[in-house]
Amino acid sequence: MSIAGTVIGFLIQTLAVSSIYVLVAIGLSITLGTLKFVNFAHAAMYLVGVYIGLAIALELQFTGDLASALGLGSVGLDAGFLAALAVVPVVAFGLGLLMERFVARPFYDRPDTDQILVTFGLLLIAQELIRAFVGGRSISFSQPEWAGGSVGLGPLGTYSSWRLSIIAITSVLVLSVYLYVEYTDVGLAVRAGTEDTEMLNLLGVRATRPFLVIFGIGSGLAGAAGVVGGPVFSVTPEVGVGVLVPAFLVVVVGGVGSIVGSVVGGLLIGAVEVGLQLSAPTWSSVGIYALAAVVLLVRPAGLMGTVEVDG
Amino acid sequence: MSEPTETATPTENADATGLLDRWDALRERESFSVAAAVAFVVVFPFVFTNLPAYSGYMSLVELIYIWAIFAIGFDLLLGYTGLLSFGHAVFWGGSAYAAGIFSANAYGEPLVMILVATVTAVVLALVIGVLALRRGGIYFAILTLAFGQMFYFLALGPLAPITRGENGFTDVSVEPLLGVLDLGTGFAGVFGAVFHDVGYVLYAGFFVLAVATAVRIVRSPYGAILKAIAENESRVGFLGLNVRRYKLAAFVLSGAFAGVAGGLHTIHANYVAVGSLYWITSGDIVIITVLGGIGSVFGPVAGTAAFLYVENIVSGEIAFWLLVLGALFVTVVWLFPAGIWGIVDELRSAVRGRLTGGDT
Repeated sequence: MSIAGTVIGFLIQTLAVSSIYVLVAIGLSITLGTLKFVNFAHAAMYLVGVYIGLAIALELQFTGDLASALGLGSVGLDAGFLAALAVVPVVAFGLGLLMERFVARPFYDRPDTDQILVTFGLLLIAQELIRAFVGGRSISFSQPEWAGGSVGLGPLGTYSSWRLSIIAITSVLVLSVYLYVEYTDVGLAVRAGTEDTEMLNLLGVRATRPFLVIFGIGSGLAGAAGVVGGPVFSVTPEVGVGVLVPAFLVVVVGGVGSIVGSVVGGLLIGAVEVGLQLSAPTWSSVGIYALAAVVLLVRPAGLMGTVEVDG
Repeated sequence: MSEPTETATPTENADATGLLDRWDALRERESFSVAAAVAFVVVFPFVFTNLPAYSGYMSLVELIYIWAIFAIGFDLLLGYTGLLSFGHAVFWGGSAYAAGIFSANAYGEPLVMILVATVTAVVLALVIGVLALRRGGIYFAILTLAFGQMFYFLALGPLAPITRGENGFTDVSVEPLLGVLDLGTGFAGVFGAVFHDVGYVLYAGFFVLAVATAVRIVRSPYGAILKAIAENESRVGFLGLNVRRYKLAAFVLSGAFAGVAGGLHTIHANYVAVGSLYWITSGDIVIITVLGGIGSVFGPVAGTAAFLYVENIVSGEIAFWLLVLGALFVTVVWLFPAGIWGIVDELRSAVRGRLTGGDT
């Protein structure tokens, strides 16, 4: 394979890994930027995406203790991957709305630590519910058959069409959210809220509704990430945190509150991870933390972050 | 060291009030807390191993002391300084590995192992603290979680030749205390009933030491500054104090407690599991401390005893105890932020209200 082919192979792999991190990170980044809300339960949305996605696309076997006590067998619509991709973000969006209204909102006026603790508790509950019903072992979420093959790019070699599909799906989702935030009134309020929430309120803008919507959108993206990431990462109850931590790093590296920042951060984190996987596999899960540490030392607000957040 | 009592209850029953005031004055003393800790380590094993049903066992008693040291240190950070760390597994696990590896390659005297463990934890806390405090407030939890996970992956991957990766470190070799007293040596007669064996004295001794140290810190001017940071950090800054330095100090201090506990755990378990570095360990110490009650020295102890008792004794009886625990945790955070110790405190003031005749 030519050098160009190697480079493109690396880029495609990076984009595929980054995609999932970016999808999870956007929601985290926006709620951090506008509401100053740290949402550990965001990982629960990813879990919802994985497990409900699996139930819709294929079949979900209930092997947990609680499920067998209740005599549950399995649920499976076998409706295919695209159906899951269409339904799950809507479900996650709805759950996100409920979470903003009934969990996040009562905690906006309470200390930051309380917010983090309560979302952490909710994540634990989600995780243990999955363990009780589906079981704790790793299950397989096979990629759809239509994406099983590979696509030839002429002299540049052939690439897994599954990776290309992930990249395409993510691009569409991220681009539509970007356009929404950039060109609608709701998006304007959200961007203004990221700059200065207090000023926004003083100007008489009722930001409650836009913040609610954007919270839901963030959750929807995390749900979509679960559907896309299910076949890529392992499917276990702990995978939520496994994806949440790199997504947090994406926010730290990219800077808070901007979609562009999340994309830049996600690409860097993905590139470091894939690069190390190819060159020094044992270090692959460590390198991304080193990157975050360097960014913190050099540019504490993140690469695209303009505002120095307290200090 | 005695400080004025906080209450001025209506004196309807002069005798009772006089006694209660004296009791209060006594309770306020620093030595009272230490004496309470000593009384606890004498009485607790009897009660705990002789419960009518689901009674505990000695090894679990020791494990409770070890985790309690960890929790007391964690609360110095969370309850007193108001900083939430999700990466304390690094100090617990990192120090446990340090003690284990040191014992296998150099010297396995328990006190030396604990010293090595503590120094390791302090160094790790300095490095992670400097990084995590680069961005204040809400980022602290995120960054400590992230760097905590980094050490888990380090132990699993690149450092596997030293840490034995997924299998955990099994070559721990603990030698007798001070080179002569084997940890399993029991005491005879009355001493045997109170002190059990050398190992128990070691764990219980460090537990009492941890309580005494924590009480000293909390009551010192330094502790007052930490509490002030939790209340309002900008005002502390306006007073001309370097807030970040105090936060780093609190972080390192609580790391040192975790280091002592991690070293003791290696001695106790004779093994270091790689799970000791995983985020779930960090989550466990958060749950223990919050359930027990933050902002007190004995709250985390109560939380530790409750958590380990349920985890090891009743978990078989309550299916899905982790699910129940998660629900309980959310309830406590939402409705009873003062935890178990807060409920005890409320009961105490209710009883005192009855005694003094006031309807408080």
